[in-house]
Amino acid sequence: MKTKERYSAGSTVLSCFFVLLCAVWIVPIFEVIINSFKSNNFVNLDAFALPNAESFVGWDNYVKGMTFGNYPFLKSVSYSFIITVLSVFLILLFTSMSAWYIARVNNRFSKGFYYLCLFSMIVPFQMVMFTLSFTADQLKLNTPFTIPVVYLGFGAGLAIFMFVGFIKGLPLEIEEAAAIDGCSPVQTFFLVVLPMLKPTLISVGILQTMWIWNDYLLPYLVLDRTKYMTIPIHVQYLKGSYGTVDLGATMAVIMMSIIPIIIVYMFCQKHIIKGVAAGAVKG
Amino acid sequence: MKKVFALLLTLAMVLSLAACGAKEETPAEKPAETPAASSDAGSVYYLNFKPEADQAWQDLAKTYTEQTGVEVKVVTAASGEYETNLTAEMAKSEAPTLFQCGNAQSLMTWGDYCLDLTGTDVLAEMTTSDFNLTEDGAVKAIGYCYEAFGIIVNKALLAEAGYELSDITDFASLKAVAEDIHARSAELGFDAFSSSGLDGSSSWRFSGHLANMPLYYEFRDDGVTAQPAEITGAYLNNYRAIWDLYINNSSAEKTSLTTATGDMSSGEFKEKKAVFYQNGTWEYAGLVEAGIASEDLAMIPIYCGVDGESEAGLACGTENCWAVNSQASEADIQATLDFMKWVVTSDEGTQMMAEQFGPIPFKNAKESANVFFNDANAYMADGKYTVTWAFNHTPNVDSWRSTVVSALATYSADQSDANWDGVVTAFVDGWAYEYNMQNG
Amino acid sequence: MKKKSVKNDNSTVNSLLVRRPIQRWFPLFILPTFLCFIIGFIWPFAQGIYLSFCTFNTPKDATWVGVQNYVKAVTDPGFTNAFWNTAKFAVVSIILINVLAFSIAYALTQKMRGANLFRTVFFMPNLIGGVVLGYIWSMIFDAILKQYNTYLTANAKYGFWGLVILVAWQQIGYMMIIYIAGLQAVPGDMLEAAKIDGANGWQTLFRVIIPNVMPSITICTFLTLTNSFKLFDQNMALTGGAPEIMAQGAKIKMTELLALNIYSTYNINKNWHGVAQAKAVVFFILVAVLAIAQQAATRSKEVQQ
Repeated sequence: MKTKERYSAGSTVLSCFFVLLCAVWIVPIFEVIINSFKSNNFVNLDAFALPNAESFVGWDNYVKGMTFGNYPFLKSVSYSFIITVLSVFLILLFTSMSAWYIARVNNRFSKGFYYLCLFSMIVPFQMVMFTLSFTADQLKLNTPFTIPVVYLGFGAGLAIFMFVGFIKGLPLEIEEAAAIDGCSPVQTFFLVVLPMLKPTLISVGILQTMWIWNDYLLPYLVLDRTKYMTIPIHVQYLKGSYGTVDLGATMAVIMMSIIPIIIVYMFCQKHIIKGVAAGAVKG
Repeated sequence: MKKVFALLLTLAMVLSLAACGAKEETPAEKPAETPAASSDAGSVYYLNFKPEADQAWQDLAKTYTEQTGVEVKVVTAASGEYETNLTAEMAKSEAPTLFQCGNAQSLMTWGDYCLDLTGTDVLAEMTTSDFNLTEDGAVKAIGYCYEAFGIIVNKALLAEAGYELSDITDFASLKAVAEDIHARSAELGFDAFSSSGLDGSSSWRFSGHLANMPLYYEFRDDGVTAQPAEITGAYLNNYRAIWDLYINNSSAEKTSLTTATGDMSSGEFKEKKAVFYQNGTWEYAGLVEAGIASEDLAMIPIYCGVDGESEAGLACGTENCWAVNSQASEADIQATLDFMKWVVTSDEGTQMMAEQFGPIPFKNAKESANVFFNDANAYMADGKYTVTWAFNHTPNVDSWRSTVVSALATYSADQSDANWDGVVTAFVDGWAYEYNMQNG
Repeated sequence: MKKKSVKNDNSTVNSLLVRRPIQRWFPLFILPTFLCFIIGFIWPFAQGIYLSFCTFNTPKDATWVGVQNYVKAVTDPGFTNAFWNTAKFAVVSIILINVLAFSIAYALTQKMRGANLFRTVFFMPNLIGGVVLGYIWSMIFDAILKQYNTYLTANAKYGFWGLVILVAWQQIGYMMIIYIAGLQAVPGDMLEAAKIDGANGWQTLFRVIIPNVMPSITICTFLTLTNSFKLFDQNMALTGGAPEIMAQGAKIKMTELLALNIYSTYNINKNWHGVAQAKAVVFFILVAVLAIAQQAATRSKEVQQ
């Protein structure tokens, strides 16, 4: 639209309406915040009540939440972090390389692999979850340091699809020029192709991060739960009636798991929203 | 730029090599082969059944490892999820070596995995075989403790309300006392029953323990000793009577029972806001710790209006039976048996067992200060009949119970006959259904 | 990889200059991904198909039983109930989410104060995991229903609509982003032309804007369709399928969707592992057919426009 036009009266009404709608939108988060400061019984009594002198417990729930359920919360956070960073790094590196190969080498293997990737995108996780957990256990992929292999395998489909779509649109001449200049394929890829892939790298990175960070079932089934938990598993473990349930402390744990995400979102909001939009248009 | 590139390239190469290397090795590795380090010494992996005893087990395991150098891993399943956890863990290459196999159904599922414990040192330490599970002469699981449940009473509060324990001898007298206390609750500052929370954290108190009453009497009448395919629900009216008594004479709102947790219920009792609290011997330590004097505590049978029930004792039994995984490696089995023996003979072990589980059926057992066990024994000494744990026959136990809880919750919100029919259906039809599911 | 003589097919994007050297680097470029793909997808998938015809505790002790698992799967009232729940849920959520997301996106692409802030807020729920969302909302719904003397799992209707609200709250922001991108790509001169031709707001919307954002509509309906069929975390955390009743001699979890039903079937005991896997295969076929049919249907519409 044109620059600096006056906002119409209708637009102001609409803005007001949206302010209200947004307020409704953040009610659930607000609820978590207020209940994380109330003692357990008061959460049950009336979750909507603001903390008062009787129900307010300060940071007690947060302190309790850190060690609640005999498993340090920070341990779950660090495992979630390790798994997400390693997996996303592996996915970005290897699938972009494979996608380049597929896009540039037009043989039966490339085509077959590409169609398998497309196929994998419509297969629901339930189809492979039981067998995947057996396989992963036997290959010792049940630790936070090895589970990225599973994520690379199961997440390869979408990533390759998006990369291939993008690379097919890149002009071949640049790569040919690089080859003539004496670049090996490895050099061509890392020096010429990879920098051009930046927008798709961001898109894929964001989509995969959102998936892996919040994923519950795959790590629940694959990880050796006796040693490793991720944040979603931790939350489920607290709520999944570990003999006793402390709703106040659970809310504190939930709050602690949301805060980092919100902070990252504040800073990278533009990228995230752009990445999602771009990713979807390709999909 | 060149340097960066070189670095990236090396990184990529190393990663891909590592990835290839890892994959080429793995198919050759047989799942049955455990790493050399652990197979030499043997290690113990205990999948614990009781969340409330988790800390005690963890501490004990640490002590054992310090003393002997043998690794003991204790993992606790959330309540109501033991079978799920066991199924998942047993499929893994590092499966539990010591696990819970506490009832007929469990034995049917896991019998193949239970080592015959005949002739082991730990079995020789036992004082009774009453709580053991056997199959064709093989001892498949040993009951390492027994428990009793009933209605826990705060005698001090009862006295404050003008009653004594001896006033309660059957359902009618329990009802009279409870209703009187509830009617005067505002003036007394406490209510009759603590809340009957149906949240997953303690719903087993009602779908398991309370449900044991109708099951026990039905099985007694019909002479049932093995798991029946169907039940009649002949005593479900008694179940309804006692459930009504619980929820009508409590400060908890009937419509919010589904979200009421076990903590809330025990909290009310600990804060002296309720006189009665249905639970078991295992609660003793927690209650004393919360500041209730030991001499104020007592446990009485759950009376539900069955003829002759003034002759009833507490409900005693166990679903705490140890089984050793026969599919584990030789070394792990030996390590596990050694650990078990240590637990029931050593000072630290018997101390912990006495604190957590009361009098254990082993020769070296420590005396327990638990008054609830003393109550249980006193009833037995008086010649009253012990209500055995009929619910150990429940098919697909977690699933059956969750249906009953769902129906109970609906009924509690609106105590109509139609809603009670839902409970009866969940109870009786649910039993037949789960029996078929379990066996088919 | 054996090298075969390269055909002269310059018609494709297949430059000899680029292709041949790359092929030599096959082990670096393809192998790591492909091996992981085998471990993480191909092998479990193939084994899953095989095991759906077996009874098994672990894949090591599988015994072939033929189609018996499939018979048990489709005759299980719990499974059919979960199917209808899922179908109903999919229809309701596809309509609700897309209509609302499109409306919000449309409003936000008009001149409006604070549009960016609103967009940020609406998108936020997507960043929170399904398990966490489920617990947050179960607390909220229980608190609301308590005012009316009831609770979330009292009635299957509450659970169902609760799930719809939760998922709408979560996904509207995501679809909104896609619609905004689509709306911003509508050529300005087309809108100008419509205005000059005297088209009113509704006519512009239906004749110009919607046909132009058809690709976004395709994507969003596809995503909402597959999302609602695959929904698991939120379903498990919000109600876990409760209330449970006995009907037709079988236990039915009233608010259970397909994915959760498969999972809980597996957890009954080892006799049901095979049945759960058979249900998973049926589920996969269902999702695949729906996805392909939806793609075919909307793509053909895009072409017509």
